[in-house]
Amino acid sequence: MKRNAFPLVMLLLVLIFLYLPIVVLTANSFNLSRFGGAWEGFTLKWYAQLLDDRQVWSAFANSLLIATGATLASCLLGTTAALALHRWNSRLQLFHYGLIYTPLVIPEILMGISLLLTFTAVGMDCGLHTILLAHTTFCVSYVTMTVLARLQDFDDSLLEAARDLGAGAWVSFIKVQFPILLPGIISGGLLAFTLSIDDFVITFFVAGPGSSTLPLKVYSMIKHSPKLPVINCLSTVMLALTFALVLASRAFQNLKQPKSLTKGALS
Amino acid sequence: MKNTTPRRLAAALLAFSLALAGCGPKRPVLHLYTWSDYIDPDLVTAFEKAHGCRVKIDTFDSNETMYAKVQAGSGGYDIIFPSSYQVSLMAQGDMLQTLDKSLLPNVAAHFDPSYTGVILNPEMTYNVPYAVTFTGLAYRKDKTGDTPIDTWASIDNPTFKGRIALLNDFRETLGAALKSLGYSLNSTNPDELQQAANVVLRWKKNIAKFDNEQYKTGIASGEFILGHGYSGDIAQVMLDDPANIGFAFPKEGFTAACDEMVIPKTARQTALAHAFINFLYDPENASRNIQYICAPMPNTEGIAKLPPEYRANPAILPPAEILARAEVLKDLGAANALYSKAWDRIKASE
Repeated sequence: MKRNAFPLVMLLLVLIFLYLPIVVLTANSFNLSRFGGAWEGFTLKWYAQLLDDRQVWSAFANSLLIATGATLASCLLGTTAALALHRWNSRLQLFHYGLIYTPLVIPEILMGISLLLTFTAVGMDCGLHTILLAHTTFCVSYVTMTVLARLQDFDDSLLEAARDLGAGAWVSFIKVQFPILLPGIISGGLLAFTLSIDDFVITFFVAGPGSSTLPLKVYSMIKHSPKLPVINCLSTVMLALTFALVLASRAFQNLKQPKSLTKGALS
Repeated sequence: MKNTTPRRLAAALLAFSLALAGCGPKRPVLHLYTWSDYIDPDLVTAFEKAHGCRVKIDTFDSNETMYAKVQAGSGGYDIIFPSSYQVSLMAQGDMLQTLDKSLLPNVAAHFDPSYTGVILNPEMTYNVPYAVTFTGLAYRKDKTGDTPIDTWASIDNPTFKGRIALLNDFRETLGAALKSLGYSLNSTNPDELQQAANVVLRWKKNIAKFDNEQYKTGIASGEFILGHGYSGDIAQVMLDDPANIGFAFPKEGFTAACDEMVIPKTARQTALAHAFINFLYDPENASRNIQYICAPMPNTEGIAKLPPEYRANPAILPPAEILARAEVLKDLGAANALYSKAWDRIKASE
């Protein structure tokens, strides 16, 4: 039997296009050459420069703060929006659905400029708070959609059973519905966090003095900075952090495995 | 007990938003809006100590994006660092404050008048020059051998065929062609531009590519022998490899550009902004900053304090007789269309 070479070729292509750039970037962060054209020797000096770069760290802190804030806020708003959309089927909710859906399809640049115009119109100074508002605005849609998808598999009779057994509306939500929705909320939140931390276009418009985020900083560095490899170092550090987080969450899940099995049986 | 959770959540959210809004320190904050890594961070720290303030730096990647943001109403920056032609546009748009010269004694005392010719607004009503850069030809000394590189005609040299990079910028490259023909690089004469476009078309047959970013790498690695580029960029490459890389100012003339410091109308810390500009013009600070950014601030005593290897580097400090051949790019308004049309013709040709 002749084996089809197609899957192998595809696999190689995917590996090359997805991972080779990352490998090159990581290697270049240790390259003595400033331009990364050729390997000139191993160095850690770019990492030392990264550690010293106050602006990069302040941008990084801004990014983390905004991403965390936007994730929390959008999880709260997105979940309640999804609950409302799930429970009622009125015309108003249809309109609501449209409103929530729109940010997913309108171009980012349009959203950025219109938010900036709104903020200036109401006399609000741009800064961290305007970025937080803007990010929450577009993140809500993503959280709502993920939670809504989770709600479609949700068996409403579970809630009725809880009420039958004497739980109030709040307790039945917290003890029954919320735990089942939690994976959806968490994945929506992770999506929101990712979107917020690397958003450039909208952030560019609504950022004010002293509120540069990491993508804004990196973009201006790419064009004009004499210390370009610092970006490679930063990316490598973030890559390492992401891997560490993923591994940690895997380990955590394995620890909790028996418990989550029983939960799975319940739902 | 039942209802505490949502209340606690609300309280936590409130505390978080208060923390966000209230994290501003008591010390005044000076906001700079500038190019990335364009100021010595040690100087910034020194200024913070001396004035009991904090300096926050935001960065932009082009004059156009900066202008778009400030025009859309993004206020609160105290000093912006645009290029000269953008200063004129901002001044026309009534976006800039008239500077208080009495708060800038260092500028009056140390400004180097030999640079007056290469700055666009020498009366300094709204602006103080920060750094001057030039466009010229970088070359590999080890590959050019005995051929002197001092003219735009070197781009035609067949021995360099396929080893030349020209800037992918229509004002710069057509400007070089205009200069090679003896015209002004701010020419709006369609006939002169036509001739310049033909020169670039001829050059195109001899070069490797038009490029704004990779030419530094190419010159550093020896892939390119000639590179049309900005002096600040090349000066950094030259400091890494002074034996092999040279920088030439073509004798027909070349471009000069200046980045300036301006205080927008929306600035909050006007006095502190003046103090900062004055601080940078202190000769000791000016000298340190020139070494950091590799481009001269027109500051006589500051330039005199530079270490010899910086003063000897023509890409950082061109001699006065060379400076006289520089011409400043002006904003041409409607005539820009002539340039972009000529450029399209060049790009489309085989």
